[in-house]
Amino acid sequence: MSSTATVARRELVALRRDRLLVVLLGFLAAVTLVSVIVGAAAFRAQLEAYQLYVQQLEQSGSSTRAAAPRLFPLQLLRGSVEYVEILGALFAIVLGYGAVATEKYRGTLPLLLSRPVGRFALPLGKLAGIAGIWLAVVVALTVLWTAAIVGIGSASLGPADLGRILIVGAFSWLYLVFWSALAVALTAVTSRLSLGLILAIVIWLTFVLIIPQLGDTMDPDNQVPGGLFKALEIDSSSEAAVIAHFATFEELRNFLESASPTKHFERLAFAFLGIDDDFNQKPIGVVWSGIWGYAVAIAAAGVAAVAAAALVTTRSNLQRTRS
Amino acid sequence: MNAFAASARHEALNIRRSRTAHILLWVFVGMVLVSSLIGWITNRTVTGVFDRIRAEGLTSQPNPFTGVSPLTYERNTVIYVLLIGALMAVVLGAQASLRDRKSGTSALVLSRPVGTASRLLGQLAGIGAVLGVVLGGSVGASWVVLGIIDAAPLGPEHTLRLLAFAALSWVLLMAFAVLGMLTGLVSRSETTALLVSFVLWSAIAFVVPQLGTAARPVTLLGPVPHPAATGGWFDAVAAVTGPLAVTEQYKRAAGVLLQDRNAQAGDWTGALVVAAALLILVLVLAVTPRRRLRRPLDE
Repeated sequence: MSSTATVARRELVALRRDRLLVVLLGFLAAVTLVSVIVGAAAFRAQLEAYQLYVQQLEQSGSSTRAAAPRLFPLQLLRGSVEYVEILGALFAIVLGYGAVATEKYRGTLPLLLSRPVGRFALPLGKLAGIAGIWLAVVVALTVLWTAAIVGIGSASLGPADLGRILIVGAFSWLYLVFWSALAVALTAVTSRLSLGLILAIVIWLTFVLIIPQLGDTMDPDNQVPGGLFKALEIDSSSEAAVIAHFATFEELRNFLESASPTKHFERLAFAFLGIDDDFNQKPIGVVWSGIWGYAVAIAAAGVAAVAAAALVTTRSNLQRTRS
Repeated sequence: MNAFAASARHEALNIRRSRTAHILLWVFVGMVLVSSLIGWITNRTVTGVFDRIRAEGLTSQPNPFTGVSPLTYERNTVIYVLLIGALMAVVLGAQASLRDRKSGTSALVLSRPVGTASRLLGQLAGIGAVLGVVLGGSVGASWVVLGIIDAAPLGPEHTLRLLAFAALSWVLLMAFAVLGMLTGLVSRSETTALLVSFVLWSAIAFVVPQLGTAARPVTLLGPVPHPAATGGWFDAVAAVTGPLAVTEQYKRAAGVLLQDRNAQAGDWTGALVVAAALLILVLVLAVTPRRRLRRPLDE
């Protein structure tokens, strides 16, 4: 067995025995499940309100009816995807940090480095172990999401729906590996362990919470509850014509949003799950042709983070430790 | 100097020397300043959008931004207090209670005539002083920026509202600092302490409000509290989770202070809930058993 495979196997065993990790991943699974439950309950409440409205219309003798709310089952996963992008990324950072920090804290690093391990065996082995754990987690989440939609959402799913969930699962895995690799790199490169963790969290805050929030905040339509253009009774074609006069502002806003890998992951997931209205009920091929750029960006970010972790996790960086 | 004052001074000194704390504090101050600027750029653009709509004769509706308070530009600060400020407070709190356990100096400190409550509350006061200075500085800088944007200094009423907002934010951040201290005291390792704090923060900021409002996690990142959902189970659940959603209550109180048009003027329920949360957490901290402080870390 190569030294990379040995390190990966050791990491997998260590992570499997980590009770804290079990608690964290259990929390992640629970909140994504809660999200589906809340989404299904909200839809039922909406349906009940609609039925009451129809009943009142019938009693008043009116024959005009608004369209009934329609359930698109995969849209129930919106909150779950958002939890993966926010909390999943946070937990991925902790996992990446823990992989390096544990060796330093426990004093097992000198012993490990005394063995004939290759230059990249340690970072790549550890990342392979973490990627293995994330694969298991994502598979479990995918099964849980499917069961929740069918069981709690009382919806039926076809093969194409299952395919969409699997694609989102695959990109969730890539996204989580990206954050873990980034945390490995930062923990390896900083001499003070807690500083590596805090730096990773500052990056997480910036890319996961602040930049996407700035983009939303700067959206003119978000300035008034219910939407500015709706409040001013402007239709969508006039809206586009007006916004065209503010191209620089819109470009800046879009640049801010697209600077975040989180936003790329979100747009891709929302497109495949039909949460983005432009892609709802469209064949997978059509969706792919519209969003493949996001897929490339997520993959590139993942590869860059893994490469950075492999390059900076050197013997000299690992051995200069201050607790 | 008594134990309380000595602990407070020592804690403030430690934070001043900590590079980690500096990073978080600067990120927070920077974002608070940037938020005023973003608010101004956005408002100017939106006014431009409205002017164009009116010039093209597309609407007869009045400008929705006429007569808005200058404090509106400050509303994004609410989010940065909840996101960066709360995490910063949690980290400061956890580091305060972990420091002695990590360096093994707990036994030495506790060999002196120091009461457990005096020690812990003194440390909290030290954190409170640092948070107070940071919030005071941020609000002071915002006052200047808002004056520049409005081309006139803020009047006494707006200044008082801004100060009250800083005080409300301080109370919320102190609650998160206590949460960090408590997790630092009960956890077996630094990683666990930070993680448990983050999990608690995410549960308070996302999960609890979602149960009663059906709001998606990303929606909860907005500065305006999400209204409770109605119908089905939501009426019952919102009654329970509403007061527990401290961050949403903070947004509600901040909206009143910053004269947000969605907020109900004179509604102080949110402020009371935030204050009650801090009070309860401080009481829990004060009755922490002495042995918790002595226990070394596993790492």
